[in-house]
Amino acid sequence: MITRSRSELLSRATDALQHAGNAEAEVLVRDVASSLTRFANNTIHQNVSERGTRWRARLIDGRHVAAAETSGDSDDAPGRLMKAAHQALRVAPESDPSPLPHPDGAEDSPVAFAGSTAAATAEQRAAMVETVVRAAEARGLVAFGYVSTDAVATAIANSAGLQRQATTTRCSAVVVLRGEDGSGYAARHAADISGVDVGELSAEAVETCERNQNAVAQPPGDYEVVLSPYAVVELLTHLGWMGFSALAVQEHRSFMRLGERLMHERVVIRDDPRSEALFPFPFDAEGVTSRQVPLIDHGVCAGVVYDTPTAMHDGVASTGHSLPQPNTWGPFASHLEMQAGDTPRAELLAPIRRGLYVNRLWYVRNVHPLRTIITGMTREGTFLIEDGSLGRAVRDLRFTQSIVDALSDVRGVSSERLVELGEDESGVSAPWLHLGSFMFTS
Amino acid sequence: MRDLAERALDAAAVSGAGYADCRVVSRSVQAITVKNGEVVSVDVSDDEGANVRVLLDGAWGFAATDRLTAEGVEVAAREAAAVARASGRVQRNPTVLLPREAQRGEYTTPADRDPFGVSVEDKIALLLAADAAMAGEPRVTVRTGSLEFVREHRFFAASDGSITDQTIIESGASLDAVATSDDEVQARSYPNSFGRHQLCAGYEAIEAMELAQHAERIAAEAAALLTADQCPAGTMTVILDGSQAAMQVHESCGHPTELDRVLGYEAAYAGTSFLTPDLLGHFRYGSNAVTITADATRATGLGTFGWDDEGTPAQRVELVRDGVFNGYLMSRETAAQLGMESNGTVRGDGWPRLPIIRMTNINLEPGTSSLEEMIATTERGVYLQTNRSWSIDDRRLNFQFGTQNGWEIIDGKRTRLVRNPLYSGTTPEFWRSCDAVAAEPEWRMWGVVNCGKGQPSQLMHVGHGAAPCRFRNVHVEPAR
Repeated sequence: MITRSRSELLSRATDALQHAGNAEAEVLVRDVASSLTRFANNTIHQNVSERGTRWRARLIDGRHVAAAETSGDSDDAPGRLMKAAHQALRVAPESDPSPLPHPDGAEDSPVAFAGSTAAATAEQRAAMVETVVRAAEARGLVAFGYVSTDAVATAIANSAGLQRQATTTRCSAVVVLRGEDGSGYAARHAADISGVDVGELSAEAVETCERNQNAVAQPPGDYEVVLSPYAVVELLTHLGWMGFSALAVQEHRSFMRLGERLMHERVVIRDDPRSEALFPFPFDAEGVTSRQVPLIDHGVCAGVVYDTPTAMHDGVASTGHSLPQPNTWGPFASHLEMQAGDTPRAELLAPIRRGLYVNRLWYVRNVHPLRTIITGMTREGTFLIEDGSLGRAVRDLRFTQSIVDALSDVRGVSSERLVELGEDESGVSAPWLHLGSFMFTS
Repeated sequence: MRDLAERALDAAAVSGAGYADCRVVSRSVQAITVKNGEVVSVDVSDDEGANVRVLLDGAWGFAATDRLTAEGVEVAAREAAAVARASGRVQRNPTVLLPREAQRGEYTTPADRDPFGVSVEDKIALLLAADAAMAGEPRVTVRTGSLEFVREHRFFAASDGSITDQTIIESGASLDAVATSDDEVQARSYPNSFGRHQLCAGYEAIEAMELAQHAERIAAEAAALLTADQCPAGTMTVILDGSQAAMQVHESCGHPTELDRVLGYEAAYAGTSFLTPDLLGHFRYGSNAVTITADATRATGLGTFGWDDEGTPAQRVELVRDGVFNGYLMSRETAAQLGMESNGTVRGDGWPRLPIIRMTNINLEPGTSSLEEMIATTERGVYLQTNRSWSIDDRRLNFQFGTQNGWEIIDGKRTRLVRNPLYSGTTPEFWRSCDAVAAEPEWRMWGVVNCGKGQPSQLMHVGHGAAPCRFRNVHVEPAR
């Protein structure tokens, strides 16, 4: 459990500014309490707990900028931090640092927080694992996965008067069940541990695993597909890395052509840091209020996310998507969601005569960012779709596919959605998607 | 550090632990980044903390803290014991660690020039000189250069009497040139892509990279790639440069020989392995030209140390000998399950993370050929340089890699530059098709700084010794 309240943390950040001297200063501090119970072969094999406080300072003196980080909760931590930052500043050459943001008057809300998660114990996590393992053993399956609980208090203050604070929690449960010749995956994530129903999670994994046995080889080629939200999340996060950043657009590395239609009109993607389902967080690593940003609006490139440096470049306001400054990565869309459609999930397969259902994509990597080409494998649940129904299991296939091309032929979007974590562990909300074409290469 | 570790071990024993170990880790990092002629940042970071791992009634518990006081580490030890008791609620086969001889000693990375002793001004000047060399190519629109230096002090003590004290020093650098046009983006990197090329060494490693001398070349290549022909498609001979060979070893040999994966410990995340124990000692993994070692004793590798994070001495083992699958990367716990002993490959990412099986330096041992000879004896193929993308299935069989550029080879001659090359295959078939590995003069140690594994996620720095090598009958195509 975190030991300092967020207001206490903010007070310490503000106090640290007093060590800034004549420089403009920003102090970001995070107090983390993180626990994860991992299981394999129906046994808890790794079970960890971590407590720590991480400090970061940015100092700006005219055209000079430097940053320092340190750890620890001791009284001398702020002093050590600012001393290190001053030492770095003294040798930093002239550059063109972006200014510290001023307070924007916004509330420090909404925030994903549940006291029950912050207070969760190792016994609670083990009990949740036990539920999964019992469900697996009852069906002759073997369970793997983890249950985690995290609490993070964040405070940021700068010498322009900005002061922000928020404490978030998250509980995750991820399960892979394996049978004699195949496996099934399911995951749930919520701010409140009581919102993670491991019984329902286990039932989903059992169903997928039992269906995914004795898979047959299917020839590679172009298939009509239905992707589950676990798979769609991969498409969304890779679009984010490749092109939803203003810096990628400014550097001509992005596929985004603002105002142009690139995808099917059913495609609506936004970044929404205030969404209740997406672990809302009110500000970015500069302390700027994070705003909802339409990215793809009915297939049309509608916007990108900004931090202060990229916003100044384009003469607009930051959208509050900064990573710790200064950096070369640019802003980051960390609360992606795709709008649900109007087709019940159960009806999504109905129009498909022959295709593939993909539960999960794995080891997805960018192959050509400008063309949004990615490659990866299917995993833990790939099935034939025949005459509108889910058929037998298919061996995992490699795909190599342009995401923009795939999202140009969207034939159905489910009315239900799931939240899954992207590879960077940010929450992403996605529906089931029926796509007209998806290329499997081996 | 010793006092803190002893307090933690005492508290663990009082809490009922049958075995406990403690690591006190402090890490200092200096990172300098230059972009398009300007210094973006001079970052310094210090991070220190301790962790305690306990085995209690056959179940594991682990707790980490940055409260480096006697009270702080004792709280962590009691927390680890409480976590272990919770683990005991879901145990099918209690863990047993076999007794061993206590390990004691000190180790420090050999370094001619302390990288933290070199002035920041000199480091910035080095990066700006390289940036200026790239700036001569107008089609290169994004130029980035970075340096990173790490000093990590790792103190380890265990309830079996082991005490080791190690200081690891790393030095790394990278240059990236990104060229853009209306319809294309191409990048070239030096010495390697995706992060940096990094070694366990002092500043002499940076000087040996000769950044400025290579900067103009990669800028010109990035620009040329914008209009280069697409890589040819078909089944052909592939020659990998050393850095891509290192990546191939990493993904298709390093990870599948991790015994925790084989035993299912990573089944829900990183995956399992096709190299099951029944294959050990006789499975034809590659051709006779392929010998792959895990060597934590090899100079300059990012996996070079005195002892691993369980206190097992660094060692060299053959994972693949003359093409035959010969060994695993093993911890004390997993080795015992095969009736074997750990070979010292357990590593944790700083103080917060539980040490798990990780690669050390996984090396493709030198052969007898040379790049020049390989090209001269290739009728039709491509020579591929510097990784651009990598993907492999959860059993480490079906892979697809992309590289930043390729050179078409026709009738023994390196001909035209080609863009967007991809090659794919299945691990054992690919390595069985290896008919040549370059000899020692072209063999060098590469560093990978972004190897991810474990939950919570851990990033590890690992080494790969490799040289250019050749593979026959490989599927090649362009990304389009």
